[in-house]
Amino acid sequence: MRRAWAVARTDLRTWRRSPWAVVAALVPPVGMLALVMVLTWSVTKQPVALVVEGRGPQAALMAHIITADREAYQLRVTDLTRARRLLQRQEVAAVIVVPASFDSDVATGRASLDLTLNNVDIDFGDDIRRAVDRSVAEFDAPQLGASLERTGAAQGLVVPNPYRVDVAERDLRRTTVTYSKYQAVPVVILLVLNMGVLGAALLGARDRERGTTAFLRATPIRPVALVAGRLAGTALATVAVLAPAIAVLTAIHVVAPPPGHWPALVTVLLLTTLLAAATGVLVGAAVRQVRAVAVVAITASSYLFFLGGGFTTIAFLPEWLRALSRVVPTSYAIDAVRQALFYPGLHGVGTDLLALSAFTAAAVAGGARALRAGAVR
Amino acid sequence: MVHVGDGPRALRASAILELRQLSRSRVLVVFTVLEALTFLVLVSLFGLTGSRAPTALVDDDHSPLAASLVTYLERAHHSFQLRPMTAATARRQLASGQLVAAVTIPAGFGNDVAAGRTVVLPVDVDNVDVDLTDDIQRAVPSALAAFGRANGFPGVRVVAAERDLIAHDTGFIPYLVVSALALDALVVAGVLGALAVAREFEAGMVTQWHLAPVGAGWLLAGKLLASALVSTVAVGVAAGVVFAGYGVTPVHAFSTLASLVLCVGIFTCVGAAAGALLRRSLPVAALFFGLALPLYIDSGALEPERFDGNAIWAVAHASPVYFAVGALEDAVHGLRVTPEPPLADAAILLLWAAVAVVIASAVLSRRVAVR
Repeated sequence: MRRAWAVARTDLRTWRRSPWAVVAALVPPVGMLALVMVLTWSVTKQPVALVVEGRGPQAALMAHIITADREAYQLRVTDLTRARRLLQRQEVAAVIVVPASFDSDVATGRASLDLTLNNVDIDFGDDIRRAVDRSVAEFDAPQLGASLERTGAAQGLVVPNPYRVDVAERDLRRTTVTYSKYQAVPVVILLVLNMGVLGAALLGARDRERGTTAFLRATPIRPVALVAGRLAGTALATVAVLAPAIAVLTAIHVVAPPPGHWPALVTVLLLTTLLAAATGVLVGAAVRQVRAVAVVAITASSYLFFLGGGFTTIAFLPEWLRALSRVVPTSYAIDAVRQALFYPGLHGVGTDLLALSAFTAAAVAGGARALRAGAVR
Repeated sequence: MVHVGDGPRALRASAILELRQLSRSRVLVVFTVLEALTFLVLVSLFGLTGSRAPTALVDDDHSPLAASLVTYLERAHHSFQLRPMTAATARRQLASGQLVAAVTIPAGFGNDVAAGRTVVLPVDVDNVDVDLTDDIQRAVPSALAAFGRANGFPGVRVVAAERDLIAHDTGFIPYLVVSALALDALVVAGVLGALAVAREFEAGMVTQWHLAPVGAGWLLAGKLLASALVSTVAVGVAAGVVFAGYGVTPVHAFSTLASLVLCVGIFTCVGAAAGALLRRSLPVAALFFGLALPLYIDSGALEPERFDGNAIWAVAHASPVYFAVGALEDAVHGLRVTPEPPLADAAILLLWAAVAVVIASAVLSRRVAVR
C-alpha cells in the first residue's frame, strides 16, 4: 500500500511538472464547450424577412401570427426589393410574403403564404418550413392545442378546428433543458476521458522512453503496487481537474441534479475516471513514442466520447450504430449522467452503473496486465 | 561559397529526411489519418440528430384516415422517425430517453374524423432539450395542416407556397461532410506541419540549421513539402470516403482537388508557425483538435455563416476555415455559402497561404538566430 502510494505520488508530481500535458488534456474539452456555445446560436432561430403586401385585416392577422412567433423567426419586416437583396446577401435565409390578394383569397379559401427559401441544406431549411407551416396552421386553426385529453376521471375538452385533429401535448418534465446545458454536460465526460487516458498513456510512454521501466524492474516494487499506484495517481490528477470544473458548473446551475441524484452522479464520474486511467495505461503500453501518445490518446478519447453519445443522442442513430454503442463503455456513463441530471427518476442508472463497472474492471485488468508485463519483462 | 543549385538540393534532402522520419513514426501517421476520419464520424453523428426524431407511433385505430395521418407525419419535413409500438413500450422508452416523443392515434379516430368531429391526438414529448422539443412542436401542426388540406376538409383556407432558390435540397450529412474536409485539412496538415518543426526544437537540431550552406527557408520548405505530401494522402483518404462512402459526387472535380490541395498547403504552413511557437510536440495534436471544433462551427460548416448574424459572420472572417468551406461547398455541391464569390474565397485562401509562410519562416528564422 505504501509503495503504491509512493508510485501515485511520483506520478502526480510528474503531472504537476508537465503543464503542457495538462494543457493538451484540457484543450479538446474546452474546444468542445466553445463549439456547443456557438451551436446554440445556430440551432434556434432562423433569420427571415417578412413582406406584408396585403392591406386587409386577414393579412394583418397573418403578419401578426408570424411576428409573434419569436421562438422560430429572427424577423425583419421589410419591402420586397430589400427582402430580395437581403436574401441574395445571405442576411436572411428566407423571405415570407403575405400577398396583396391575401384577404380576397382567404374569402374564397385559396390563399397562400409565399415562401422563398435559400435551401442550401435541409437542416435549417426544414426548420423554416415547419415554422411557416405552424404559422399557417395557427391562422386556420387558432384554437389548435386548446383541447384537453380525456384521462381517468377528467372529462376532457374538444375544441373543434378545420383539420379535425387537435394536439394535446404532454411534457415529460416541468422545464425544458436549454440546448447549451444539454450538450455541455457530456463535455465533463470528455474532460475525464482526456485527463485519464492522456495522463496514464503519457506516463507509460515516458517510462518506456526514459528507461524508467528498466529501473523499476530493479526496485523491490511489486507489479501490483505499480499498477495500483499508476491508476491511483492518474485518477487523482483527473479528480484534481474534475472537482473544480464540477464546482463551477454547479455554481452556475449547469450541473443541478434533482434531490438524491448526487451519489449516482459522483459514482458514474469516479467509475469513468478509473476506466479512463486504465484505458490510458493500455494506450501507454501499446504506443512507444511520447510524440505519438497525444494523437493516439486524443483519438481514443474522441471515439469513446462520440460513439458513447457525447455529441449526439444515441436514439437517433441507425440500428447498427445503436448496437455498436452498446459495447462502448462511455455510452453507459453518458446515459447515466444525463439520466441523473435531466430526468426526475434514476430509471436505468443501475444497469448503466453495472455495465460501466464491468467495462472498468475489464479495462483495469487489461491495463494491469500490460503494466505488469512491462515491469517484469 | 553557395551555388545556385544548393537551395533546391537542400530542400530535396530536407524533404527526404522528413519523409524518413515520418516513416519511422507510422503510429503517428496512421492515427493522424484516423483523426481525419474521426471528424467525418463526428459530423455524421451530429447530422443524424438534426432530423427524424425517434418517435413512438401508437396506432389504436388502424383506419385509412389514421394511415393518412401517419403518411403526413412521415412527410413533415424529415421531422419524425416513426416507430410503431404499444403504449406501454412507448411510455417505458420515453422515460428512459430512447424516444423524443410518442404520438397516439386513439381508437375511433377514423370514424370521428369522417363524421366531421375533431379528435384529440395525445402527443407525449420528452422536453429534455429545447431544440428537439421545438422541432416536434412545429412539426405536428405542419403534419395536421397537410392532413386537413389533403383530405379536402372545409375551413382550410391558407397554404404555404414554397419557392426554392436551389433546384434540389442538399442533405444535411452530405453538406456537413464536405465542410468537414476543410476541418480535416486543418487538423491533419496542421498537426504534421507543427510536429515537423517542433521535433527539430525537441531534438536540438535547430542549432545545426546554422551549419547548412543555404538559408533556413530551404530546409523549412523541404520539411513542409514532405508533411504536406503525407497530409494530402490523409485528406485524400477522407475525401475518398466522402465521395465513395457517402456517395457525394463533386460538381466541379478540378476545383475540388485544387481546393483540397490549397487547404493542405495553407494549414501545413499554419502548423509550422504553431510548431515554431510551441517548440513542443505534446500539445500540438490537442491544440489543433481543440481549436478545430469551434473554428469549424464558426465557418459556415452547418449553414451559411451569415445566417448566424453579422457579429459571428465577421468573426468567421478571421479563420481560413471559413473561406475553405466556402470554396469546397462551391466546388463539390455547387452551393454558395459565403456572400463572397468562390473566386474571392480562393484568392483569400492564397493570401492566407502567403501570410502563413511568412509567419512560419519569420518565427523559425528568429528562433534559429536566437539559438
